[in-house]
Amino acid sequence: MLNYIWAGLIIFSLLFAVSSDLRDYATDEFQNGAEIGIELIIPENTPLQRRTAVQFRITAGPDASPEVYRAEWFPSEDQAELIIPVTEALPAHWRKVAQFQDARDLTQLRALVVQRESGAAAVTAVITLPEVHLVKMRSITKAAFDMAEFAVTLAIGLIGIMALWLGLMKIAEESGLIYKIVKVVNPVLGFLFPNVPKDHPALGAISLNLSANMLGLGNAATPLGIKAMEELQKLNPDKESATNAMCMFLTMNTASVQLVPPVTLIALLGVGVAELFYSILITTAISLVVGVTAASYYARKFPEPPAVVPAAAAPQSES
Amino acid sequence: MQILSILVLPLIIVAIPLYGLIKKVRVYEVFVEGAKEGFQIGVRIIPYLVAILFAIGMFRASGALEMLIGLLDPVLALVGFPAEVLPMAIMRPLTGSGSVGVMADLIAAYGEDSFVVKVAGTMFGSTETTFYVLAVYFGAVGIRKVRYAVQAGLIADLAGVIASVAVCYWLFG
Repeated sequence: MLNYIWAGLIIFSLLFAVSSDLRDYATDEFQNGAEIGIELIIPENTPLQRRTAVQFRITAGPDASPEVYRAEWFPSEDQAELIIPVTEALPAHWRKVAQFQDARDLTQLRALVVQRESGAAAVTAVITLPEVHLVKMRSITKAAFDMAEFAVTLAIGLIGIMALWLGLMKIAEESGLIYKIVKVVNPVLGFLFPNVPKDHPALGAISLNLSANMLGLGNAATPLGIKAMEELQKLNPDKESATNAMCMFLTMNTASVQLVPPVTLIALLGVGVAELFYSILITTAISLVVGVTAASYYARKFPEPPAVVPAAAAPQSES
Repeated sequence: MQILSILVLPLIIVAIPLYGLIKKVRVYEVFVEGAKEGFQIGVRIIPYLVAILFAIGMFRASGALEMLIGLLDPVLALVGFPAEVLPMAIMRPLTGSGSVGVMADLIAAYGEDSFVVKVAGTMFGSTETTFYVLAVYFGAVGIRKVRYAVQAGLIADLAGVIASVAVCYWLFG
């Protein structure tokens, strides 16, 4: 399932990017190579053979307006460029080209001067804006590389808070805080696991596992949960098929009440996680009730005879 | 409520070592021992984060996610479900470490204080990687016929997803 979703994300990204780029070509979204007539306003006695600050006005094309923009005249051996800083004042189309151009610096537009004529009062010229190709293809590639890099810096950044939290939780574990919770959990269990004898070690392991889960002690919970499953398996007449008690236990496990959020969430949100303690507590209480209800509904729909405690399990209940 | 929120973290940070001290636990050494796990988890989740973040990053960059959200939003809005949270609802039961990546992506896209991140965070904290838990626990004892455990687990997950949204509207909306 996960394999298909994951591969689907990647393949669909590619298909979507390709179709989006083709659509850009079809509608000539970026007007690649379109020639734009401008009028250059050059300070007096300034030769255009070297870099110099100029102003210009768009005189032809859909963006023609009396507005004056600033730019830098940048001549090289056989051609000249106009380096235009991107500001809010530029026409919308120009800003869009700047945003999606394939250049290192997106805060400027390097327009190529294809033709220039010096008149008496002003210099007129024709420029073309940088061409924009395959916007989405470039952006998904960039996203893949950027996110791969981000994943590592993220994980490294999470270590500090996770270390703090797991250190505290280890103290909670060693000091036996878990047994405080066990006291609350225990009385309910007999009612939820009618087929498990009251003095069977399975109930002890179940309540320890559920308590560890409630405190967010994932590492301590898993071995306890496996222990609980092994105990339940001893009561199972058909060793390949799950019992009602096992299904109930796993439902309670996946829908466990969370007194403490998972450590990764705490690390991701930092101090901001405090607000979520309550929302998570309430939500998990609701999902636990629903889960237990569902499991007991199924248990009643598919009843099974009360388990016979195997002789081998009896001495273990004292240990 | 807000004061309780501010108090919960300092209370945990101070009360747990204090409780440990009362119970005669070697608090400093035990803390350091537990803190070491932070490194292990941090390093262990890197491959999962890379896998999920780059795939979702591509999906977002291609514009497909935006379109999907745009398509689903009118339908989900009828029940008040923020469509932006959908990736979390889908990924959470499938992959625990991967949904850390989804969470990180949502924080980067919408900001830490946004409603979307609060709902997604509640969902992340409330639902469990059901398929993983089933695989580990049933696998450990060799159960092959899981009967209704998947359905019951997923019903609980679905309740968690719906309740996350409802509870967040109630607390933060």
